[in-house]
Order: sequence, then structure tokens, then C-alpha cells
Amino acid sequence: MSRFARAHRGVVYADLRFEVMFHRSGAATNGEPRDSTETESAGFCLSVHVGAGAAIGHGQAGAEIGRLALNEKKMVAEIGRGLEEAYNRARISAREKAAFLKRFGARAGSLAGGAFEPRAPIRDEVAAVYKQDPRTLDPEDLKRITLEASREVKGLGRDIAFNAVAATSELRHELFASTEGSLISQAFAFSQGDVYVVAQSGEGHQESYDTIGQQRGFESIAEGWREELLANPSLSAFAIGLAKEAQELAAAPVLKPPDREVIIVTDPHFNALVAHEIVGHPCEADRALKMEAAYAGRSWLLRTATDNEIGKPVGSSLLSAVSDPTLYGYGHYRYDHEGTLGKRVAHIDHGIFRGFMNSRATATALGVEPNGSARAAEVYQVPLIRMSNTFFMPGETLPEKIIGEVEHGYYVCGHQIPSIAESRENFRISARRVYEIDHGRIGQLYRSGSVMADSKRFFMSVDAVGNDLSLVAIPNCGKGQPMQVKRMSNGGPTLRSRAYLGGG
Amino acid sequence: MIPASELKSFTREAAAIVARDKDVAQFEIYCASGDNRIARLNYTSDIPCRGVEELKSHSADGFQIRIVTRRNAHEVGTAYEAGDFSAEAIRAVLARAHRSTIVDPHFPGFPAEPRKLATTKSEKSDLARASDASLVDAAWSILRGAIGAFARAQHRGLVVGGDVSVFRDRIAMANSNFADIRTDESAHFSSSVTALIESLDAKGTASAVGRSVAEMRRVAARLGLDAAGRALGMHHGVRPEAKPYRVVLGPQPVAEILNYMILGSLTTGAFHAASSAYHGKLGAEVMDARLSLFDDPVMRSGAVIRAITCEGFPAKRVEMIRDGKLVGLMSNFYDSHRLATDDERAEKLGMPAEKVPIFPALNGYRLGEGGGRRFDQSPGSSGTNIVMKARAGIEDDAVIRKVRDGLYIGRVWYTYPINGQRAGDFTCTVSGDSYVIRGGRLAEPIAPNALRINSNIENVFRAIIAAGKRSHSAIVWGSSESFHVPAIACEGITVAMVGKAGE
Repeated sequence: MSRFARAHRGVVYADLRFEVMFHRSGAATNGEPRDSTETESAGFCLSVHVGAGAAIGHGQAGAEIGRLALNEKKMVAEIGRGLEEAYNRARISAREKAAFLKRFGARAGSLAGGAFEPRAPIRDEVAAVYKQDPRTLDPEDLKRITLEASREVKGLGRDIAFNAVAATSELRHELFASTEGSLISQAFAFSQGDVYVVAQSGEGHQESYDTIGQQRGFESIAEGWREELLANPSLSAFAIGLAKEAQELAAAPVLKPPDREVIIVTDPHFNALVAHEIVGHPCEADRALKMEAAYAGRSWLLRTATDNEIGKPVGSSLLSAVSDPTLYGYGHYRYDHEGTLGKRVAHIDHGIFRGFMNSRATATALGVEPNGSARAAEVYQVPLIRMSNTFFMPGETLPEKIIGEVEHGYYVCGHQIPSIAESRENFRISARRVYEIDHGRIGQLYRSGSVMADSKRFFMSVDAVGNDLSLVAIPNCGKGQPMQVKRMSNGGPTLRSRAYLGGG
Repeated sequence: MIPASELKSFTREAAAIVARDKDVAQFEIYCASGDNRIARLNYTSDIPCRGVEELKSHSADGFQIRIVTRRNAHEVGTAYEAGDFSAEAIRAVLARAHRSTIVDPHFPGFPAEPRKLATTKSEKSDLARASDASLVDAAWSILRGAIGAFARAQHRGLVVGGDVSVFRDRIAMANSNFADIRTDESAHFSSSVTALIESLDAKGTASAVGRSVAEMRRVAARLGLDAAGRALGMHHGVRPEAKPYRVVLGPQPVAEILNYMILGSLTTGAFHAASSAYHGKLGAEVMDARLSLFDDPVMRSGAVIRAITCEGFPAKRVEMIRDGKLVGLMSNFYDSHRLATDDERAEKLGMPAEKVPIFPALNGYRLGEGGGRRFDQSPGSSGTNIVMKARAGIEDDAVIRKVRDGLYIGRVWYTYPINGQRAGDFTCTVSGDSYVIRGGRLAEPIAPNALRINSNIENVFRAIIAAGKRSHSAIVWGSSESFHVPAIACEGITVAMVGKAGE
């Protein structure tokens, strides 16, 4: 990288991300084998900044090179080709930008942005955590585990119309090198189980799917993982539990929602999606700074540099929320993909909005320190600002007490599908199960229920926070153009608030 | 990208090597070379920005081998490799495919017909050779148009977002049942632009798709201007009260609802999984009798042109809804066979088992996130150019007149099957380009993000008031398909109010 920067005129910054990956997966449907895959891959992403003053241009090139990475000469040639491509793109951009600035003058004054502060080089190595190395996992074990789980689900009865069980285990080893002299090596082990079930009963039907995932070896999926914050049963027990729930729901009535705001108690699994959509995404600085305006939208927490929620109440004093990559959730990491150390970011502190996850450039735009939140889903993609482990902080109340205090309301369990307004100022999130609460007791079960609320009003109405924080693995958060699909954790404790309910 | 001739000769070499493996009874070789390049727009008048983000690209070249062993006609293994097109890589992938075998009792083998293709002609778009400079120039050209329009208005809080993207792919494939090596290639661009004037709570959008550099240049010259012009016309929008309305859904909302709510239900896989919204309704009227829906990979004005599917079949138009009736499904080879042999097919399709037709595998594509063909994907069922036509359609102005009093919804966002695909319930928010309709005319603009739609696909498509005679092209974020759809007027669409951000 240093040689490249010295040999090319106008380079102000460049970085390389390189990754090798081993992946093994298996899947079964309706109690029969469906898929088994073993993949070894390698790829890279190169980012180059060229120019001077306001006319800095940016270029990137990403590629998958597979086994070429085994041949040093060929690998270096591919990376060299990518560097030239990224450099030329940055030059073209710088040239076009200079012409634009000349034409529009002061009206284009904001285009000076996008740069970031230089920093001292970082050198570090981070090992992956696993008992069972994904590379030595016997493919027959993985096939057997998914097949057995799928067979057990099928065996629950004819009302299980369809089921699919999939499992993966992978090892990723990333290298980050920059012209600032940073050289960071990080390895990650991911293991994941996914279950999809369709149950039908008379006229009723229920589609349910869910995921368990750990940044560990496959032992955490095959045998289950009991660590308090992100626990999961074995894949088999998880699949059976989801299927039994789907059977029960298919036979349950559709929720006919009241036409007024009601008291709702939401469980940690449901709150994981609330934390994801209503706290996590709007706390991404690129979204707040309008960089996602054409795709995933803006943020209800920042309208302009002067009109925003920073330092203001956005929730009740019982409500706090953070993103914390240092925790061993599914979104754990030490350094982000700009080589910045990942830090815990307080978003809401006792109801007061505190700040955003950021990248180096957005940190500069916001006048704050980078907190290490820029990450790409795949090595060949550009980093975007992404959640790590984003969740509501726990309170001190027992969940049973929170429910027991409700004279009439609804207990909303398990998240399903979100639909969010453009700045995430409003949401409708469907639940897997909705129970009526009558005089502090859980009563009738309904399916096809959802929670509808304006975000700030919902948070301000929180009047109880449980002590039962847990995280869930989110395997498929989409963002960017083209879409990047990223893994992370979200969660929270039991919460009580007020909202409208939607039905089917 | 790898030249088509190289892909073809590599496929031939791989086929020869795999054919010599004594344990292999059948095989398939699939090679793909693809890239996408994207110039993202990011202009904010009051926040430091780059204007155009880095021109970025992703190149993915590789091949996949699928084998069936001699031990068992249902024992199948799959493996793939990126970047390396050497004989050594073929042998390594073959070994991995052997290690990955499973016995799938429903595996039907590989396609066998036609043994040899009649001539198919791939598209030769000049976008395949488009330079980086042409893409960057298009992006800055869009910004010039938008900022030029805004400059005359002197408002604060201007935002321009979106992108110009070029997608290119090439494939070569063979299987042990085919007598030839089949190739295809295509290239297209898409561009979507969003312009916001935050001080006026106004938003306008514009988008385009096309298949040539000249077209990309032409649309770039007007898209920024169009989006900004629309935003300027939308200032200080109203926030209509929550209730059911008569609504005209413009092309983008129709495309969005089709993408997220309908297309997934129109696949053989969805029927096999008992998750289709049209469960048990094959042959039944599922939409208004004036509406028809089909996928057309060879449509002249379409953005996504395919000569063959990723399973080697000649690409053809697939009718799904004809005059409101469910007549066909998108399918791939595996899913066609799986549904045809499904013991529950009579219940799932709603007709006696012996009358259930074989759905031809005309939509077996192996697509990545950006919609391009990828070497490491299994064949799924996807569309190309999704077209909705309305019989007895009328001019768009007349559609609005038919509604008399109601809402024109020009853009929706985050449309999801809130209670699962089969239920057909959906929700989304109205994110821009929308108006109140009064006396059969567009009246005040509606503030962006002020309304949430809560409805069901039945309400939208079952008993329409009217539909436009012209199909407009529309883009849906994250979708691999290109849409060509009319505006539709429908009755009784329930909307809820969304509070202002931060209130």
C-alpha cells in the first residue's frame, strides 16, 4: 500500500481489505435432505482517495478471487489491478468534482465534505473463538443434524404443511492495511441455524421462521449455548419449539384489534426488532446525514445539524439503549472495516438521546470521535455504518410483575415482520403471538397481531422495564445499494408501553 | 469480465474433465462472469458531503459444478469456485462436489430438452463496454440538473440521493444431457434519484432503466431536473385524516406491491411450501378480470433481457395471471418436478391431482443481490421484466377522474407481508410523489411519510375501479426484476396517520 501511494500522484489515502473464508452448510426440507455445500473463497476491496482541497475523488474496486489467493504472484497481480482501477476511478471523480465546484462555486460549498482526520497506525491480531473448527466439521454431522431436526418437525403432525431447516458454520479471516500504516488481522467463526415452518389448521395457517446464531463453532448450534446474554437451545429443540408454536397459532383466532391505544407488554424477542428498526437504524450516522435518503431512508433523530434530538428526551427516563460490539453477540468485533476500534455507543441514556454509530468521515461531519461502526457485509463491498449488538438496557423489574400490574392489555411475543416509516418515526411490527392480559393474567392467544405506533410516543410511554435482557441473532439486515445483508444481534428486556394493535 | 469465448472454452474443458470421472453419472457446469458498477449520489446542501460517493464495483467470475453419482440417481453434489479457471480448480471443485453429496429423493436430474438449442441470440449492449468515466459523468450530470433546479428556488435543506448503476453478466453452461454449450449475456443500467427539500417537507423522485450508453447519458441529463422539479411542486403537503379512501396507485406502488406481495406467491416453490397467497386457487379468478400479469425476458423495451435461463432453457414469456385468472407460475427445474410429484398438490393448487399441469421451468435463474447472474447460486424462480396489462385501460388522467375524491399515491416504501405471504395483508408508508384527488383532479400534495397504508392484496387487485392503458417502467429497490405496470384505482384502501418525526 505504501509503495502504491508513493508511486501514484495525488493519493491522499488508500486501504485494502482482504479476506479468506471457509463455509459449510446443510439443509433439509420436510424431513428429506435438500442441500450441502462446502466453500472456500477469497476476495478483496480497495479504496483510494485522490485529489487536493475540496476536489477529493473516491474510487473503489472489489472482487472475488477464490483460489487465486493460493498463488502469491497471481494474488498480488489481482490486487495491483484493483488498485489501478480504484485509483483511476478516484481521479475521474476528482476531475468531475473540480469542474462541478468551478461551475457552482459557493452553491456547492457543502461538497468539501467526506474527508476524515488522519490517525496513528494500529497493529493488532484477533483470533476467532470456537471449540469445533468450521474447517474440520464433518459434513455428515451437519447433514445429519439438519435432517434429524426437519424429520422431527415433520413428525409433529399433518398440520405441519412444510418445514425447512438449514445450518451453517464458517470461518472468516480478514486483513486490513492502510496507507496510514495500520495492519489488522481479525478472524471470526460464525455458526447459524435457520428454521422455516408453515402450519395449517382448518382455515387457519401460520408461517414462522427464526434463527439462532453465535460467533462460535458449530457446537453452539448442535448442542445449544447457555451463555446468559445470547443463549439458544440446540437446533433440533429450536426447530421443534418453533413448529409447535406454529401449530398452536394456526389453530388460534386472528387478532381483531381494538380501535384505541392499549397497554402492551413486549417480550425480549419482539423488542429485538424494535431496537433494530427504531433505535439501531436511525442511530446510523450515514442515515442521519441523509446518505441513505434514496434507499433505506433518513433518521427521526436528526432533521438538520441544528434541529435534532441530541441531548433531548426521546423516551421515558426508564429507557436506555446502546450498541456494543465488545459483547459476544452475533454482532461482535474488535475493529471495524476502516480499522477503527469498536466502542460501546450510548444511543439513549435514561430517555435522553446521546448519539450515533459512525464512520471516520461521518464522525468528522458530526464533529465527534469515530466509534468504529463502519462495516461491509462481504469483503468486496464498501463499509456502511452498521449495528453491532444493539439493544435496550435492562431495568430491575421482574417480567411477571410487569404483566401482573396490567388490568387489561396485550402481551406481544416474538417479532416477525417490520414495516417502518421513512425516517423510522413510525412503525408497524408484526408479532408471532399476541395474548390478551386480563387482570394481570395471560389469557387468549391470537395470531396475525402487530404493534403500530409513532416511535417517540411509544418510547415516551414506556413505564416498566424488565430485568430479563437477552439478545437474538439477526442474520439478514439489508442496507445499501446494491443491498448488503449483514449479521448482528439485537435485543432488550421486557418493556411495557402503549400502542395501537393491527390485526389480520 | 471474462470474454464469452473464454467462458465457453472453459465450460468445454470442465465438462471433459468431469465426464472422465467414473463415479459421475450426470453433471452440469455453470460459469458466470458478472460485475456491477455503481456511482452513488449524495448531495446535502447543509451538511458536508461528497456529492458523488466512490464509484464502486464488484466483479464476480467463477463456476459451479453439480454432479449426480453413479451409486444413486438422486445423490447430488454441488461446489463452486471464484476467480480461478484452471484445470486444477476444476479438479478441486469436483472433489468438493463429491464431499458435499446428499441423497435427495426428489432430485429430478438435469434438464434434457432441448438437446441442442435452436439459435438464440444474446443481447450485445454497448453498456458491456461502458467506461467508468461515462458512469461518473452520468452521476454528476444528474447532480447538475438537480442543483440547477434548486438554485432557482433558494430553499434550505436540499438533499439529492440515488445512484446510477450498470449491471453486466455473461454465462456459459453445459450439462451431460445437452449436446451443446449454451451462452448468454446482457447488460443494463438503472438509475433512481430522490430529491428532498427538507425546509418544505417536500420530496420528488425520478427513475429510469435502459440498455445503452446513449440512453444512460440521455436520462442522466433529465433525472436530476425531474426529481428536483417534482420536489419543488410538492411543498408544504397536507396530512389527510385516517380512514378508507378511493386511491389511485401509481406505477411505483403497483410495482412495489407486486414485488413484495404477489411475485413470491406466483412460484411453484411457494405452492409446494403452502405459503402462496393464492393457495388452492389455480385457474380461479384472483384479480380483477381486466388485469393480466406476465414475465417477459425477451421484451424489446424491457431492461433485463435473457436468451436462456440459468438452467439452459430458451427464455420465454410466462403468463401468470390472464384476465384475472391464475393460469401459470414461475418455476425452475427442481421446483416444477417437486410440485408435480407433491402428494398434496391437489389441495395446494385447488384442482384434482390428475389435472394439475406441469409448470415449465422458464424462470430458473441464479441471481445475486444486485440481480446479476452468479456462479455460486442455486437456480431459483425469478422474473425478468414483469409486465401488468389492463384490458379496457384508460388514460392516466381518466383513472384519476374515475376516483373523483380520494388519494393519488405515487410512491410507497417498505411494503411487507405483515402477516406472512399467504395472508396477503400488507403495510407500507406513503413516501412521496402523492396528492389529494378532488373533483377528479390532483389537488394539494400529500406530505411525505404522513400516511401508512394497511390493506390486503385483495383490496388492491380484486375489484379495481379503473386501470391505466399505458404500462410505465418502475424500479423497486433490491429487486432483480424490472417492472412495467399501469396505474390502478381501487376502493377502500385504509390509511393511518404517521406522526411527524420527533413529535
